[in-house]
Amino acid sequence: MGKLWSLFFVFSAVIAVALCWFAPDWNWWFPGDGKAHSTLGGKIDDLFHLILIIVAVTFIGTQAALGYVLWRGATIKPEEKALFSHGSHSLEVIWTIVPSAVLLFIALYQLDVWAQFRIKGAIRDSHGKMVRPEPVAELTARQFEWRIRYPAKGKPLQPKPQPDDIYSVNELHIPSGRPVEVTLRTDDVQHAIFIPELRIKQDAVASLKIPVWFDALDNRDYEMLCAELCGWGHYKMKAKVVARSDEDFDAWKEQASAEQFDDGFRKPVEAK
Amino acid sequence: MMFRHSSNHRSVTTAPWQLVCGLALGIASGLAGCGTGPKAEFSYREATQKMIPVARKAIKDTLEDGFGTPHNLVAWERFPVAYGGAKASVVAAAEGVQPASKTISVSVEGDVSKLASGASVLWLTGSRAGEKAAADTVDTYDTKTKTLTWSGSAEPAPGVGDVLIVGFGHALQKGRAVYMKNCMHCHGVSGDGNGSTAQFLNPRPRDYRLGVFKFTSTLSAEKVSRDDLHRVVKYGIPGTYMPSFLLLGEEETKSVVEYVRWLAMRGEFEKRTDDDLGDFTEDSIVDTVKKSKTAFDAAKVAYDATLKAGDKDAVKPDAPIKLTDARKIATEAFAKFQASDLDQAVEDTASFLAEAWTRADDEASRIAPTVPRVADDAASRERGRLLYMSDKTKCYTCHGLLGKGNGAATEDFWKKPGTEELYPRRGLHDAWGNPLQPRNLTLGQYRGGRRPVDVFRRLYAGIKGTPMPGFGKTALKDEEIWDIVNFVMSLQYQSPQPAKTNAGGHVVATDMPEAK
Repeated sequence: MGKLWSLFFVFSAVIAVALCWFAPDWNWWFPGDGKAHSTLGGKIDDLFHLILIIVAVTFIGTQAALGYVLWRGATIKPEEKALFSHGSHSLEVIWTIVPSAVLLFIALYQLDVWAQFRIKGAIRDSHGKMVRPEPVAELTARQFEWRIRYPAKGKPLQPKPQPDDIYSVNELHIPSGRPVEVTLRTDDVQHAIFIPELRIKQDAVASLKIPVWFDALDNRDYEMLCAELCGWGHYKMKAKVVARSDEDFDAWKEQASAEQFDDGFRKPVEAK
Repeated sequence: MMFRHSSNHRSVTTAPWQLVCGLALGIASGLAGCGTGPKAEFSYREATQKMIPVARKAIKDTLEDGFGTPHNLVAWERFPVAYGGAKASVVAAAEGVQPASKTISVSVEGDVSKLASGASVLWLTGSRAGEKAAADTVDTYDTKTKTLTWSGSAEPAPGVGDVLIVGFGHALQKGRAVYMKNCMHCHGVSGDGNGSTAQFLNPRPRDYRLGVFKFTSTLSAEKVSRDDLHRVVKYGIPGTYMPSFLLLGEEETKSVVEYVRWLAMRGEFEKRTDDDLGDFTEDSIVDTVKKSKTAFDAAKVAYDATLKAGDKDAVKPDAPIKLTDARKIATEAFAKFQASDLDQAVEDTASFLAEAWTRADDEASRIAPTVPRVADDAASRERGRLLYMSDKTKCYTCHGLLGKGNGAATEDFWKKPGTEELYPRRGLHDAWGNPLQPRNLTLGQYRGGRRPVDVFRRLYAGIKGTPMPGFGKTALKDEEIWDIVNFVMSLQYQSPQPAKTNAGGHVVATDMPEAK
């Protein structure tokens, strides 16, 4: 019976590792095509993989040790004595220091990614220059939709609405290929913007204007959702990010502006 | 999938497109959700429930005949709803018409994908038209040879030139699925604005059953157009709980718009029928009895007086009518009405609604400014401001001197329409009886759309179902409406200085126009 259990625990670990190994082939992995479509997203994926490797090594090591101990216990001869190791000071020091070192390494190693996501846009770089990306839109979450305000073409985004601002709903248009800032607000409860393929997730908190910095590498549409259970209509908050080249982004602005300021007057067609 | 030819329906005539058929519930994905839940049912208006039993039954039967139930929709061809389906006709081909193998060659107008196996087949003309072919479905369809085999009876054989519709009602069913998934929990199964989440919302979700929608591009006497509903579904209504369904997809949006129109027609059909049968309510019977009693009492007093005076020939007044008798009389009267006039009343209501909803999509019903927007400059805004403050428009009485939606009208008690009774609350009310705040114009929030033409239309035709009147054609010229549009749309960007007030709080009319 003891042998069966030791084999059971070893095999469940083997199955878990095998499933993870094949998961990307079965599309059980990252959303969309599996690639990160932003600069920072690539780095976040690298961090993820690094942590995954550390965890995988630990997991395989501990499971192998567990399997060995179970197997030894199941096959121990009656005359053999078990070794009592409880209270080993050196062992405890080792298993305290090694994980601490690993965690400290991760904490330090990820600093740059975190700083890029949350801090670098707000401080001066080593040359004393602000690298804050250009704010392109104010994104207001509300139950249960996203309302977005853009400055007119060629103008900066103002904190307060301007007469020539452009509005859209559930469609966040951004220029692709360069970092942008989106000001995140909420009209009511807490929401969270989540763009899986760009690896962006940020809570929207009442009364705060939170800058979100990111870029989209490709000219395409990305899924955007709310990632904070915000009420009974939470599932309705699906939207999309429309990333386009600068020319196309400007062209969209012109077209959206023309539609928004439409006065409905059409010249009557002249009879020929 | 099954068809129910409703042979009994009063309004069915011989014209091929005027038919009524049942659309059985193909797939209940939208209705099922998590768990089974209660069975979806169309509710009836309070007025219907208050009818005497025979009248109530007649109304319910008429509604079920014409519209069915949520599980078995009936597409009443009278109404201008795009029920969906592909029209086809039998053509003479090499193989010809083979009744024994149930094979025909067809030419299809419209979407060939509707000819999938299992889709319903509805024969409009020819020997198979009518009730006998009620259960036909597509067996196979070969896109290359354009041959269609049907499952159902082989006889009678269709002839060359016969017209059939494949997948009739497809769009309505699709609309129902979309509606049940996205709209029903606020707007209710019947479109009565009373879904399970409606109680949490302010403003309340729209009750379609008056056939009235607030934000339209049509003239004030006209219904909402398909385009208007399409816009609302796509972009939502800011400032309310109606969210944007931009990512729903064009086909889903179109089908749900048709379904909402259909629900609105059903609701208004019920309302108008209720109004037609106003004499057969429980209330009216009680009223009759009461009146009879009052008349008797008065007559009795007169009779007693004459007796006392010694007049032996005085005629004793008839006893007042009893409630049971009154009910019996009303029931008999209704039976007579049902035998002679009900069909005509239903017919009239149906034609009225069909015409009104068809007209709504006409170009002539759409409000189009005759002049382009007047240049949005200080002078125009000032002209707009003076109009806003003038007695011609009286905008300020509701929207307030500063456009904050707090005009004096919001402090008054208002009469319920058609009665002398006052609403229990101060302030304005809409056609659905809900309290209504005049829009605060300084927020920059435009429920009916922020395009200048949207604001123009609000001013031109008013907002349906609300006290907001229309000024187009009569009170204001288009140029003047544009001036008000320019003024109103500028309010968000300026913080107007409050007018100077006296110690008593009265506004000093320093900048009011001189009365001429």
